[in-house]
Amino acid sequence: MNTNKRTFLKTALFTTAFSLVSKGDVFASVTPLETLEVLQEDLFPHADNNASAYFSLILKHTKVSDASKKFLRNGAKWLNEEAINTYDAIYTKLSSQKRQKILQIIAKESWGESWLQTVLKYILEATLGDPIYGINKKESGWKWLAHESGQPRPTKVFL
Amino acid sequence: MKYDYDVCIVGSGAGGAPIAYELSHAGYKVLVLEKGKSFKEEDISKDELAVSRRDLFTPKLDEEKHIINDREKDGSITRYDGEEYSWSFWNGSMVGGSSNLMSGYFHRMKPNDFKLKSVFGEVKGANVVDWCINYEDLEHYYEKVERVVGVSGEVKKHSFLEPRSTAKFPHVKLEENKVTEWFDTACENLGFESISTPRAIISRSEGKRNACSYSNFCGSYACATGAKGSARAALLQKCSAEVRAESFVYKLESDVEKITAVYYYDKDLKSHAIKAKIFVLSAQAIESSRLLLNSKNKYFPHGMANNNGEVGKNLIFSAGGSGQGRFNFEDLTEKQRRELMQRGLFFNRSLQDWYEYEEKGKNFKGGTIDFLFEHANVISRASRELYNDKGELIWGKELQEKIKKQLTTSKVLSFEVFNDWLPTDACFVSVDAHEKDKFHMPVGVINLWGHPQDLKVGEHLAKNAVKVLKEMGAKDISYNISAAPPPNLVAGGCRFGEDAKTSVLDKNCKAHALENLYVTDASFMPTGGSVPYTWTIYANSFRVADEIKKVLQG
Ligand SMILES: Cc1cc2nc3c(=O)[nH]c(=O)nc-3n(C[C@H](O)[C@H](O)[C@H](O)COP(=O)(O)OP(=O)(O)OC[C@H]3O[C@@H](n4cnc5c(N)ncnc54)[C@H](O)[C@@H]3O)c2cc1C
Ligand code: SF4
Repeated sequence: MNTNKRTFLKTALFTTAFSLVSKGDVFASVTPLETLEVLQEDLFPHADNNASAYFSLILKHTKVSDASKKFLRNGAKWLNEEAINTYDAIYTKLSSQKRQKILQIIAKESWGESWLQTVLKYILEATLGDPIYGINKKESGWKWLAHESGQPRPTKVFL
Repeated sequence: MKYDYDVCIVGSGAGGAPIAYELSHAGYKVLVLEKGKSFKEEDISKDELAVSRRDLFTPKLDEEKHIINDREKDGSITRYDGEEYSWSFWNGSMVGGSSNLMSGYFHRMKPNDFKLKSVFGEVKGANVVDWCINYEDLEHYYEKVERVVGVSGEVKKHSFLEPRSTAKFPHVKLEENKVTEWFDTACENLGFESISTPRAIISRSEGKRNACSYSNFCGSYACATGAKGSARAALLQKCSAEVRAESFVYKLESDVEKITAVYYYDKDLKSHAIKAKIFVLSAQAIESSRLLLNSKNKYFPHGMANNNGEVGKNLIFSAGGSGQGRFNFEDLTEKQRRELMQRGLFFNRSLQDWYEYEEKGKNFKGGTIDFLFEHANVISRASRELYNDKGELIWGKELQEKIKKQLTTSKVLSFEVFNDWLPTDACFVSVDAHEKDKFHMPVGVINLWGHPQDLKVGEHLAKNAVKVLKEMGAKDISYNISAAPPPNLVAGGCRFGEDAKTSVLDKNCKAHALENLYVTDASFMPTGGSVPYTWTIYANSFRVADEIKKVLQG
């Protein structure tokens, strides 16, 4: 994980929209959650995992460190910056093909690889975690992999 | 002096609970102070997100952490802040400690483990010593653990089977996955002695504890049936000792010869003092040393029981590493596929053929190899598929297809190597001069170094394990032997010994320097044996309980 990038960006809360400046103009405004919503479809299309909602849960989780939350948010910002640099548009406004191109570009950078890996792990959590968290709807992720959960199942969420 | 309790124990895990059990049964008033929360069987679930991804049972690293000083090959030290690098040495903060979460692979130490120096000689750069007790002193207590904590297994003669006073385990062995038969055949072909691994899991119900339900989620998870021999299920719930959860002990106070009180914070950070006749420390190896080092006064200016500078020294872990091989459907018959995917039943198999071995005319202390199926955690297994063969991160359809194939048409058999982590001057516990935890106490510093011989022995064992996987027909075989310490298998820091100048504790695990302070987690161990420690921790703690009883009886 790129610890420098992790530490120097001490920006605002996750849901606050960040302004992306290109060629001196305020180009567009987009929240990290909006970015992640599009991104999770690009990374791991899975109808019932409810990953977008899961990201909000992670960003409030008492056991996810502030540094990890910041990294998640900042990565979304850097992804958009890369999209603007390459295609003059924020990530969410690009065609699916162009979005994939951006992902390939950032995956070659150490922050990008680390961030995509982090996002993918959260998506897998949403796909394969217990449905009590509002994810893995109808146990579709478990059915996909013929996975039998351990017993007893949780009766309350741990947030 | 007026005492609140006869005995006050710090830490409710495998080291502390036998003392609580024995002394409360003997009629003494016992208090156990435990920093973690209390969970009962009905609170337990197999929630992978909570337990394995969000660390339900361990402290937050931004509130409590360690500093790790890693010694590089050239002798330089790299300092890691546990919080910054997400490097956790916490194992289980809860009533019953990490014994709740163990897999319960149980092995006794062997007679020669107690006299490593006499049998194998000095090792340059290592502080190897003989123990001040021998196997015979502990055998009765190993047997007691089998009965009281509950160990299931099958006694099978093999070259390194330790002497036993009973012919059988009190619990018959747990049901085994059919793939163990492939393993046994492979061992027979290779001339290796396959052993059925004893487990601290009961195979039939006993009192409040139900038999194992083969939940398939054992290691890292607490047990919902009570079958696992955790300190909580097997001991604390069966005795009248008072257990006070969410009580973090931050300091011991003493006069010149006795501990006079321990101080703890409750969950509202209110401080309390406890006075007892006898104090027992069992906060797990690193934390026990840290608590002693953090407890300074005019009689013990360098930390409690530390006037000879021995507290924290000779920290050890279980050396070795792990490896794995994969069985793919395409190589198997329909029957074999079904056997492979059989859920829940255990793969309990170990090899100890190389517990001692000879190489180039020199005798080496070797170790144990445990074989087990890859953990059933589905998120972790899927997360291991994020890279393709070229080492590139993948996503989308490519990732989904890879996950589907690997998780539904193959299964991984792993092995874990346990050999001695030789004690050295470079591996020890200290406390940090600046960093404090949420209780404002200096955090523990783990100074790490693994002796080169540890790696050599680990390699020798791993290569033999690989032969078995190959013979079984596994593919993608790999292993990793390294000096990375397993945080859950830790010992040393308060050695026991006859000489007060070179050890912290005496033969009975009482501090040489104090009349009423005992340490009963794995801190006392001068060398660790080539097995996981918990059976020995339990057994030794039962032994020390008998000694404390004698003291209290006058
Ligand atoms: C996932 C996992 C798998 C394992 N598998 C095996 C296995 O297969 N075989 C095996 O032999 N061993 C295994 N172990 C190791 C085993 O759990 C430990 O060896 C054993 O529990 C150690 O006993 P202990 O008393 O030293 O520590 P613990 O059992 O951890 O108990 C220490 C207790 O002290 C408490 N404490 C710490 N500091 C303070 C303080 N200042 N004040 C109050 N309380 C405090 C802690 O919260 C904890 O509850 C495993 C461990 C883990 C985590
Ligand atoms: S029921 Fe058996 S398999 Fe499950 S946690 Fe308990 S001892 Fe382990």
